[in-house]
Amino acid sequence: MDETRQRLTNCFQVVFPDLPPEGIATASTATVASWDSVAAITLMNVIEDEFGFEMDLDDLADLDSFEKLYSYLQKRHQVA
Amino acid sequence: MTITEALRITQSVPRDARPFAVTLACGFTPLHLQTFLAAHLQQALPDRRVTITPGLYGDLAGTLESIPEAAPPDGLVIALEWPDLDPRLDYRGAGSWGATATNDIVASARTTLNRIAAALLRIPPGPRIALSPPTLPLPPLFHTPGWQASHHELTLEAEVMHFAADIAQQGRIAVLNSQRLAEQSPASERLDLKSDLYTGLPYTIEHADRLASQLALALIPPVPKKGIISDLDDTLWSGIAGEVGPDAVAWDLASHAQLHGLYQKLLASLADSGTLISVASKNDPAVVAKAFERKDLLLRPGQVFPIEVHWNAKSGSVARILETWNIAADSVIFVDDSPMELAEVAAAHPGIECVLFPRNDYRAGLAMLRHLRDRCGKERVSNDDALRLESVRQGAAFREQASSGATPESFLEQISASVTFDLAAAGEPRVLELVNKTNQFNLNGTRYTQPDWQKLLSAPGALLVAVSYEDKFGPLGTIAAVAGRADGKRLMVDTWVMSCRAFARRIEHQTLKMLFRTTGASEIEFRFTTTAKNGPLRDFLASLLGEPPQSDFRLTRSQFEAKCPALYHEIREMRRAEAHG
Repeated sequence: MDETRQRLTNCFQVVFPDLPPEGIATASTATVASWDSVAAITLMNVIEDEFGFEMDLDDLADLDSFEKLYSYLQKRHQVA
Repeated sequence: MTITEALRITQSVPRDARPFAVTLACGFTPLHLQTFLAAHLQQALPDRRVTITPGLYGDLAGTLESIPEAAPPDGLVIALEWPDLDPRLDYRGAGSWGATATNDIVASARTTLNRIAAALLRIPPGPRIALSPPTLPLPPLFHTPGWQASHHELTLEAEVMHFAADIAQQGRIAVLNSQRLAEQSPASERLDLKSDLYTGLPYTIEHADRLASQLALALIPPVPKKGIISDLDDTLWSGIAGEVGPDAVAWDLASHAQLHGLYQKLLASLADSGTLISVASKNDPAVVAKAFERKDLLLRPGQVFPIEVHWNAKSGSVARILETWNIAADSVIFVDDSPMELAEVAAAHPGIECVLFPRNDYRAGLAMLRHLRDRCGKERVSNDDALRLESVRQGAAFREQASSGATPESFLEQISASVTFDLAAAGEPRVLELVNKTNQFNLNGTRYTQPDWQKLLSAPGALLVAVSYEDKFGPLGTIAAVAGRADGKRLMVDTWVMSCRAFARRIEHQTLKMLFRTTGASEIEFRFTTTAKNGPLRDFLASLLGEPPQSDFRLTRSQFEAKCPALYHEIREMRRAEAHG
């Protein structure tokens, strides 16, 4: 597992402590009942804490799965 | 604190820990405020599992009105903001900002504040309540430019301040200090408009954290320190009394020594509120006595006891002061201008808080004064607080006479002691305060929040007795409390504490005698736990049982009567209401 994926996994563990580790990589708003709008904002802030940059609330609606967040982080990483 | 840290704190609590339920009443989406509040409260209550239930969105008054009288939460936090008083003050609202609206907004805010005040009044005793007045700036809806306050703006603020002053005066609700919050969370860094419009949370993350931190302190305040031990030269006053003479030491403005005067005024004010003040100084006793005779001293000599002045180590002075006060080092602050003296005392008395008096640093001086107020400040001052120093002084006289030749029996017989048992003291804040700060004579060390205390006292058969004491040396005030449950001829004692100031007077024997007499119990069951500090109570119990208890135990009436020594107190029984009537 690459470092970004591992760090994102850690963020999911903080926000969704009841989510089994094997379910994190496939997690999405459709599969995780507790991933509501409040959890989405909390997840965004935890990712900001972890990766040290600010995310835009406008992007929030599209970032609705682990994989999309991972891709988003990879792009941010490339830009940086 | 970051969001991640806050979440980790709340997730680290064992799921089977006893819950502490808090209702968070706010009209906005609580989001991070809820997360941070849970984390800060969790840090203040490490053995509880804090749960936060947010109230109704957009209806703060409705949230308060819907709190069930029969089962209120353990704590209630109210984060008031301007939109709670009128929706036109909400950036998310659709109402107009025109000139005609402003008069109506003021009237509407007044009505809503009255509604909130009425809702607060009907919440039954029990839950702790903390309230923050509006923390966000008003929207730019008034006719004046931003640098000028409009009549309407000032009237709105005045309405809120009157409301806050009224509820603070009732003594039941802790109102946040807006100035202190402003120091930690600058006004310009509080509002996150995008977050407000997108998510309904108007706070920046930093403001949510800082506000939550202050609200948690207001809801679960730390136990105040009981005493301050102060140095004299270049601390209580400016100058070395032994060198310049007692008439030349200074604490006034003209001598550029006002910081010492402010320190004296603070100590005097704390003494008035029941904080014990003492002096430990390496000095010539005769010189110090002369200095204490000066009429312009702002800390009255009668407010200081004991005074330790000699040339020996200050750690020894502190040891004797702690012994006289009969309190532990971790309840005390030691103030000195010498880092070396502070280090010497800290090494000898682990747990004591050592504070440097910053002689020529005015910024640090002000910070020190505020720190001392924070550490010793109290929510309320009781009659017992006013009695504390006098009772310590009289306790010293008591011990001196008790050891001066007369037999203990003849001494106790001659001191005209009276013990008063108050059987209706449930509403007295002093009783819970005593339970929560007593260590040495404490049945099990259990600390109670106000709601837990209320639950204990409202259980079927609940019994609470507050004990006061007085003898020819003077009154000690309320010095003991017993709480338990009576079930027929059985009595179970959950809590029993007695102030260390009241030791050696056989009040504990008289208390047991009263419990057997008033309840008719043939035996008393005690919920006992050994703690690191309750050795004195354990020794007393061993004198009755033949050996110290290891856990819960029972004491029969015959066991007690076989070991109870002669008691010489005059006994009074009352209900607090009678005393007030």
